[in-house]
Amino acid sequence: MVDPRIYDMFREIGRDLYTANMISSHGGNLSIRLGDRVIIKRRGAMLGNLKQHDLIETRLDKNDSGVALASTELLVHRTVYLNTPALAICHCHPRTAVAFSLSRDEIVPIDNEASYLLKKIPVITEEFASGTPQMANKVAEALTNYKIIMLRGHGSFAIGQTLDDAFFWSSTLEEACQIMLFTKQINEPFIEYRGMSDSYSKF
Amino acid sequence: MALIKLFANLRKIAGTKETSIMGASVGAVVSGLVKRYPALEASLLVRSPGGLPGNGQIRSHVIITLNGNPITDLNLVVTEEDQIAIFPPMAGG
Amino acid sequence: MNGWNGKILEIDLTTQTHKEYPLDMEMAKQFIGGRGLGARLLWDLVGPEVDPLSPENVLIFTNGPLTATGYQTSNRFSVTTKSPLTGTVLDANSGGFWGMQFKKTGYDVLIVRGKSPKPVWIEIKDSVVAINDASELWGMRVYAITEKLGQNNNKRNVLCIGPAGENLSRIAAIMNDRERAAARGGPGAVMGSKNLKAIVVEGSTRPEVDDKERYKFLMYETKKLLAASPLTSQALPEFGTVVLMNIMNNIGALATRNHQQTQFEGAEAISGEELTEKYLVKNASCWACPIGCTRISKTEKVEGEGPEFETTWAFGAQCGVDDLPAIIEVNSLCNDLGLDTISAGSTIACAMELSEKGYLDSDLRFGRADMLAGCVEDMAYRRDLGAELADGSLRLATKYGHPELSMSTKGLEFPAYDPRGLQGQGLLYATSNRGGCHMRGNMIGLEVLGLPKLIDRFQVQGKSAFVILHQNSNAAIDSLVVCKFTNMGVADEYFARVLGAVTGIPYATGELIKVGERVWNLERLYNNREGFTPKDDSLPPRLLTEAPTDGPSKGWVSHLEPMLKEYYRTRGWDENGVPTPKKLADLGLNKLVSGG
Repeated sequence: MVDPRIYDMFREIGRDLYTANMISSHGGNLSIRLGDRVIIKRRGAMLGNLKQHDLIETRLDKNDSGVALASTELLVHRTVYLNTPALAICHCHPRTAVAFSLSRDEIVPIDNEASYLLKKIPVITEEFASGTPQMANKVAEALTNYKIIMLRGHGSFAIGQTLDDAFFWSSTLEEACQIMLFTKQINEPFIEYRGMSDSYSKF
Repeated sequence: MALIKLFANLRKIAGTKETSIMGASVGAVVSGLVKRYPALEASLLVRSPGGLPGNGQIRSHVIITLNGNPITDLNLVVTEEDQIAIFPPMAGG
Repeated sequence: MNGWNGKILEIDLTTQTHKEYPLDMEMAKQFIGGRGLGARLLWDLVGPEVDPLSPENVLIFTNGPLTATGYQTSNRFSVTTKSPLTGTVLDANSGGFWGMQFKKTGYDVLIVRGKSPKPVWIEIKDSVVAINDASELWGMRVYAITEKLGQNNNKRNVLCIGPAGENLSRIAAIMNDRERAAARGGPGAVMGSKNLKAIVVEGSTRPEVDDKERYKFLMYETKKLLAASPLTSQALPEFGTVVLMNIMNNIGALATRNHQQTQFEGAEAISGEELTEKYLVKNASCWACPIGCTRISKTEKVEGEGPEFETTWAFGAQCGVDDLPAIIEVNSLCNDLGLDTISAGSTIACAMELSEKGYLDSDLRFGRADMLAGCVEDMAYRRDLGAELADGSLRLATKYGHPELSMSTKGLEFPAYDPRGLQGQGLLYATSNRGGCHMRGNMIGLEVLGLPKLIDRFQVQGKSAFVILHQNSNAAIDSLVVCKFTNMGVADEYFARVLGAVTGIPYATGELIKVGERVWNLERLYNNREGFTPKDDSLPPRLLTEAPTDGPSKGWVSHLEPMLKEYYRTRGWDENGVPTPKKLADLGLNKLVSGG
């Protein structure tokens, strides 16, 4: 049984992700690193409605949880923890960001918050998405240099010191993409308000 | 009435180091504090048209301790013997 | 060449000769500069057979590729040596202006070896090196010699020792630009043991930047970030670091009277608020720094830089003293004598407890503000009681039969944060490579201030991962070399990009932190080679077994053991705290240990 405070944190953020339309009923995942152990959502559980038993604790380098598979994405999470400074991972499917990922190799925000916090979000591709070492390595490599990245057509992976951070980047990304979508609908010339913004895509 | 202690530039802004405020929760007490010392609003609260704290509208990095324990949950119950300390964002070495 | 100068200057004081040679750029890529490069060079130069106060020890002054570029806070430098206080690898880090000027002389590294037969001072003007007679200067205090040798913040900078270093006090500081200090671990004594009084630098070469556009953009963003962070734009400039006094006291983590309590009833009287209200003249800053955390304080007797939080705590709460003017004055005295204020204050506190308990025969008692100044003077000159205190609290307490009363790890006295109120901080002290130090990875951000988010300060499981991340990150920042206060507003990903823009060598954020991990592991290897073992990764019994009886930390002791076990595993070390071959290979350190 996972510490109740940790469960509360997962449950609240899971619920927020679902109600913000950033995840479907059973998709996405959250995990944290506790020393040399990982806490992650069980396969098949619903982020928007997490129960205590939906969280699995396991060793970082191998599964000793006694549960068959914590998640098809456990490999990705482990690879990220072993290769980046991440202490928490938020993986979700922010729909506007996913839509934008289909037509570009990087998402460069135009709103203030995301410009300030994120600058640029790279988009990587891996067709055989879930659970393969190739995908895990690609995601981990991208996350060595960015705190949030997009997997084309699939969703975002964000890292931080706490789940709060990782959720924050994810939420900011989705907000940025929604705003970008609105500007396309509004379809009026963009008035640049940020200094040195041509450098964002080179971040 | 819980005892509220203010620190750093909050003292100058409010014009006092400490005061007593009635309130059932931490959020309610902070609301009451801002009502009594409106000048504190800019330092403590996120500028928003509606509402006062109780739903997370304290500015980030403001540090609130309840009987010496840093807290983030503004719904925590406050009793008469409790002491709340409020610090603006800070750091050091 | 971009960023680095690419040159090392080596001065041999025994033969009074010097030479220069190229910096190994492969090594530079792996260790960058500052602390990292210093540690790597020390590994080669100073082995376990070397006594820290012997001519075979070295002093390695390093700047980094970012130094003197003008990037925010790119003024700092490192001094690396084997510590005469702890026997561990030591890097002491200082700000001000000297580091910037040293970079401008055209060198990345200055290695000082041997021992001069007579007192000397070194002058480096670009590549012209002079070793000058210092017999008239020996004995001078820091302020006097700094002025005498022509200190001018932007043009000519003096680094020196005072009487404490000359008299080989193991807690002596190296001072620069009058009141900046590279102090922890006693590097001043190493300099004194070499008969080296001062190093003066004047330079004219600004470093080259590879991608100027990108560099300008990153400086612009840094400026925005520092202005937006309330810590760097308001709290630090307005109140300085002493702003922490009241909050640490409020949460019951302010070590008091030699860690006998965790709250001090006189905290308000020595707080940042009190300092700002009554004694502050203005704030000041180091070169290229927009933050301005330096205090200029004034009492009836003195006016000068400081005091910092740790100093105010060490001579304040730790000694049971609530007399702020007395603390301001003793801070100024320590700067003039060249003494580490944390170790000095905490050693006096230890002596106070030893005296109160009857183990040491002296008049020192907690609260004796009137005795502080006399004490530090005597310490610097090794007079009377001062002679007992001059080598730190562990040697003092051991001599009088009670080593457990030294509040230190590996002999380095702790700073203010009491581990019984902050579990993560206790683990940090126990595992820091230079001894009980908070600058290796301060946990108060997470455990107190909510940066980036508040975590439970009493939680034990999982803490090690945070401590490790911060230790690695700080080691990287110490290798750039920039000020960690920048990190309050600017995330590591910016530093990685600035490093890339300046040097032309791309570093991913994770790679930069990995440099920090590499440095950390190398420092660990160094200490292991010196004979340190897991039992040295410890805290005094008081912190492990004596819980505070009141205050918010009531009932809590430091639960070091489970945290330490988890720490070793998470670091990829075996249960003896030795980096495994796999970890070393991953960091590229395996050749160092296999003798390849």
